[in-house]
Amino acid sequence: MAVLTTTTIITAIGVFLAGLLTLAERFLLNYGICKIVVNGEKTYEIKGGNHLLGSLQQHDIFIPSACGGRGTCGLCKVAVLEGGGPLLPTETPYLTAEEIENHFRLSCQVRVRNDLNILIPEELFSIREYHAKVIRIKDLTYDTKYLSLGLAEGETVDFVAGQYIQLMIPTYGKVKEEVYRAYSVASPQTLKTQIDLIIRRVPQGISTTYVFDYLKEGDSITFNGPYGDFFLRDNSREIIYIAGGSGLGPIKSMLHKMAEEGIDRKATFFFGCVSGKDLYFVDEMKEFEDRVPKFKFVPALSNPEANDGWQGETGLITEVVDRHIKEDGEYEAYLCGSPGMIDASIKVLKSKGIPEEHIFFDKF
Amino acid sequence: MKQTPKLDRIQRLMQPGVISKEGFLGNDTRKLADIIEDDQRLVASLGLTHEMIADVMEEITDAGRETFGSPKMVGKFLKVTVEGSMGKIASPFGGLYNKENITVLNIETNESITWTTLNIHMIRDHGFYQGKGSCYRIEPKNIAKIFKLKQMI
Repeated sequence: MAVLTTTTIITAIGVFLAGLLTLAERFLLNYGICKIVVNGEKTYEIKGGNHLLGSLQQHDIFIPSACGGRGTCGLCKVAVLEGGGPLLPTETPYLTAEEIENHFRLSCQVRVRNDLNILIPEELFSIREYHAKVIRIKDLTYDTKYLSLGLAEGETVDFVAGQYIQLMIPTYGKVKEEVYRAYSVASPQTLKTQIDLIIRRVPQGISTTYVFDYLKEGDSITFNGPYGDFFLRDNSREIIYIAGGSGLGPIKSMLHKMAEEGIDRKATFFFGCVSGKDLYFVDEMKEFEDRVPKFKFVPALSNPEANDGWQGETGLITEVVDRHIKEDGEYEAYLCGSPGMIDASIKVLKSKGIPEEHIFFDKF
Repeated sequence: MKQTPKLDRIQRLMQPGVISKEGFLGNDTRKLADIIEDDQRLVASLGLTHEMIADVMEEITDAGRETFGSPKMVGKFLKVTVEGSMGKIASPFGGLYNKENITVLNIETNESITWTTLNIHMIRDHGFYQGKGSCYRIEPKNIAKIFKLKQMI
């Protein structure tokens, strides 16, 4: 009993002191106005004391982050050349030796206590935050939804087909802090007042549970973007698209681009599903065969069920690709799907003589 | 094992709604250090190690991963389905891992067990099998069954 009482008292004192330190840092320490010099060109003045990630956001500079700044995703890396203080143990698991040598830090962990000199990729300056309303939520399959978001009056978004945005998921249920999750845009890049997303449910996923079980048509939602270098390269190579599940989204956006711009490169889209219940947008893809001159859609089921009445390609999508493409052809490939599918597809494409620099995929 | 400030921080990340919707602790109110220590004792009493367990889980996962969501027979009795999603999930201990749900069904007994790629990492590197009541808790006792299943491969 005495041990329990002592432990309780010591724990209570520890919690009290930790709380006191937090309050002292918040209210007593005044770091004043600090300057953040970005890429040696732009200087922003901010009130010190906050984390770098949030401080940059106040000036509309959005560093990709999936965890809302809690130090769990490791995505918000920026090079802090001066003023970042010592590397924290909360950062090291997410940084390679090379990144540490090049002064990379997690911007959500670096607190702005003095002037900073940082480097960020130039393209991040074009990223903005957008406010939208949910126009439509449509079931594509038992576990996949099509989400259409209309931007607020007067707002427009510029993105390149294949890029992604980060959807802000507000607090709900047991989720007490906002999180951000990345989704590729499925709509045409010319449609600037709306973006469409294809979202597949992830078991226990914070974001997809919100989209599937809480989000309704008419709700407000915030996103930022666009991000990524997954977009159609301008050349004459034959295109191979490979996707599975919700990976169809960015490919659809690229096909809109091909149709609208009259791109007549030969292109084949291999879409892999397990069975008929996972297959969607077949009619829409067939329409692209009419709109894009040399485009062919090849859906494939790896494990069709008897009642699917499936007459199309069967087998793993990698086997189907292997059967369809010839060796040493002048191809360029765009892949979107689970990491396992992407890795296996890259292996097959390389075995066909396609160089790695002609194979593109999203890494998020 | 001592509950260090680092383990306190990790345990905060394991709460519902921080990394995953339901978190990693279920209805377990023990300190993280105690959860790990208790499971360490259980695993040792079964004559196993965390590494042995993680190795088997990884071997089965690797075999199932080859079919992108289609069930695959591994050996005579195990039907393995690995469903991968896009994106990564953070480990509360640090690092990012593929979002994969692995379901292993023994078609003879109809018993099944489900884990994630993150489970394998947390077991191998930290001896953490998740708290009692967590939907992804791997009971060390059930692991022995996996080993029995493994012998059939």
